[in-house]
Amino acid sequence: MGNSAAARSEPPSPAGTEASSRFAELRSLLVGPEQRQLRALQARLDDPGTQAREVSEVLPQAVELRTNDPQLTRALGPSIEEGISGLVRRDPRQLADALFPVIMPAIRKAIAATLSGMLESLNRTLEHSLSWQSLQWRITALRTGKSFAEIVLLNTLVYRVEQVFLIHRKSGLLLQHAYAPTRTDRVLGASLTSALGSVQDADLVSGMLTAIRDFVQDSFRVSEHESLDTLQVGELSVWIEQGPHAILAAVIRGTAPSGLRATLQEALETIHAQFGDRLESFTGDSSAFDAAHLVIERCLLSRYMTESKRRPPFLPIIATAVLIAFGVWAFMTWQSRARWNRYIESLRAEPGVVVVSAERTGGRYVVSGLRDPLARNPATLLSSHGLDARQVDGRWQLYQALDPSLVLARARELLHPPDGVALQLAGSVLTASGTAPVDWIDDAVRIARAVPGVTRFDSGNVIDNSAKALAREIEAAALLFTKGTSTLTAGGDDALSKQIERFRMLDRLARAADRRFKVDVIGEADADGPPESNLPLSRRRADRVRAALAAERFERIEIAADGIGSSQAARANSTDDEKQRNRRVSFRVTEAVRPGGSTAR
Amino acid sequence: MTQKKVCLLGAAGVGKTSLISRFVSSIFSDKYLTTVGVKIDRKTVSIGSEEMSLLLWDIYGQDELQTVRPSYLRGASGYLLVADGTRRATLDTARDLQQTAESVVGNVPFLLLLNKSDLDKEWQVDERSLWKLVEGGWPVVKTSAKSGAGVEEAFVKLARNMAGM
Repeated sequence: MGNSAAARSEPPSPAGTEASSRFAELRSLLVGPEQRQLRALQARLDDPGTQAREVSEVLPQAVELRTNDPQLTRALGPSIEEGISGLVRRDPRQLADALFPVIMPAIRKAIAATLSGMLESLNRTLEHSLSWQSLQWRITALRTGKSFAEIVLLNTLVYRVEQVFLIHRKSGLLLQHAYAPTRTDRVLGASLTSALGSVQDADLVSGMLTAIRDFVQDSFRVSEHESLDTLQVGELSVWIEQGPHAILAAVIRGTAPSGLRATLQEALETIHAQFGDRLESFTGDSSAFDAAHLVIERCLLSRYMTESKRRPPFLPIIATAVLIAFGVWAFMTWQSRARWNRYIESLRAEPGVVVVSAERTGGRYVVSGLRDPLARNPATLLSSHGLDARQVDGRWQLYQALDPSLVLARARELLHPPDGVALQLAGSVLTASGTAPVDWIDDAVRIARAVPGVTRFDSGNVIDNSAKALAREIEAAALLFTKGTSTLTAGGDDALSKQIERFRMLDRLARAADRRFKVDVIGEADADGPPESNLPLSRRRADRVRAALAAERFERIEIAADGIGSSQAARANSTDDEKQRNRRVSFRVTEAVRPGGSTAR
Repeated sequence: MTQKKVCLLGAAGVGKTSLISRFVSSIFSDKYLTTVGVKIDRKTVSIGSEEMSLLLWDIYGQDELQTVRPSYLRGASGYLLVADGTRRATLDTARDLQQTAESVVGNVPFLLLLNKSDLDKEWQVDERSLWKLVEGGWPVVKTSAKSGAGVEEAFVKLARNMAGM
């Protein structure tokens, strides 16, 4: 320092200058290198850029050495927080883009946990359902170790991702497109043609999808991170997943499980991780994303009902057989029950049968009630209704029914009407018509009143007819006499006995019907003798017969006798047979005057 | 094949839809224009030995009642401003739309199409005004959707500009 001051105050002498020069030279020789080093060090210390470079070289190692030092954390914390806050304020998207690959798996995990909770809730709900199908699914869940709800979803959800569009978010241009050939396509080998056709339109669809998303976002003024994520048209739906630079749109037919959205998100994350830079600087060349085709192709998932059910082949056969057997059993049961019902209906309609109860007990049909002995036997109706008598127990108590048909049947059974007699029932009046023997009429009048359901027996018609028939027989049976006498011809006594028997029956009929008859006994003679002798002869013949009849003392028959001579006899030149027929006694029967007045023949 | 998003902008009734309906392949009906406000069609142009696929966003015409949705412009590599040469006011609308487009997509290639060039007698845009636009850096092409004049050239020119040629 003192030398320097001297140099500034006094000009150096030539000798001094030379000495100084030599000293400097000496100094340069002795400490020159050190001086240069010192100057270099000085320059390094004075240059902030150099200092920064040198510090940056050791900073990572220094920070690494103090990683666990709280002092360092405290020292750096405010700066880092300030830096991040500033970044968020300036451009939040930058941070969102940076965090996207990290945060999406975390979100997905959270959603998966929520879904798991929902599945458990659904599981509990379904546990209360007791349908046959739910029982099957429960067995499957036990067998496979999956939750019941998962099995339910597997069996109920059928879907197919038909197309996947990878779209540049900013421009709406199509980056990649994958589509699933339908089963028909695979069968016909038409996949290539369809693929070309689909790709041609996919560019426009991609753009329109983007436009619609923008339209919805603009219309409802939602934030940039909220956007249209689902379109639903009939059984087609479009699921849209949005990333920072690209959008994945999946066209789905049917109902897809919610897990598919996680698949789409995963694919989108992969694409952003692999093609992030290219997406950011995309200028329209989609060939840069050819490798992404494989990624979106993995999203072409599908589930078919037939594919998810790997049942053993014999199960459908057994199930079919069981169904058929059940169907046959049900049909036969229904048929048997229908027959039984028809049988019971017919029993209820049957006269003389009262069904009290009809039921099925212990595999057998049991019917009980009241039955008239004259009614149809219920057992005989079984076969006509297709029922087996061995399966039916009939428990019947006998009774007498008052059905008209049964009353009539009972009357017939008790009265045994002979041929020629008809019985009819009108109300409670039993009427007999036709011609009947007197004995039957007597019995019928007596018995008919005792038939249940019959209050009166009308035998008038049958008595009339029988009386008329008897009268005709009496009138047809003339008694023949020998010539000139009142003596009956040979065999005449027998004829007279038979005639007397007819009179007896007529008398009984008259008594039964409370009537009276008059019989005129008319004697005749042939024309061989003179009329004055024939008339007395004819009267004697009539008296002879009347006497025989009077001996019987008929209560209801009046007998009158008279002779008419030969007034009605054949001429003298008649044959002997004709003359014999004139030697006779004939009868004429009329009904006597009734107390009311009239007389009937 | 390179794809580019191209927007068609212009006042209502200038003939945007007519311009593209005869020269592009389309799968959507025009009803999208009145519902969603946009219809997308494709136009493929050849540039030298290369082909370029233009995805044309035909955006519903701006008028007093409806303005263009800026979101539809996002990501466009270029745009066509369409004005009706027989209605001078549509040129002003084109100017407004150009500013809107530039604010959304930045300085990307664009063309001004003065449509209905076949209607000479009703023409209202004078050459001086046109010259001013050209001087201002606006490439202008006269087109006629009716006759097809200038349409193909306009698409090719825009494509070449977008390709940096």
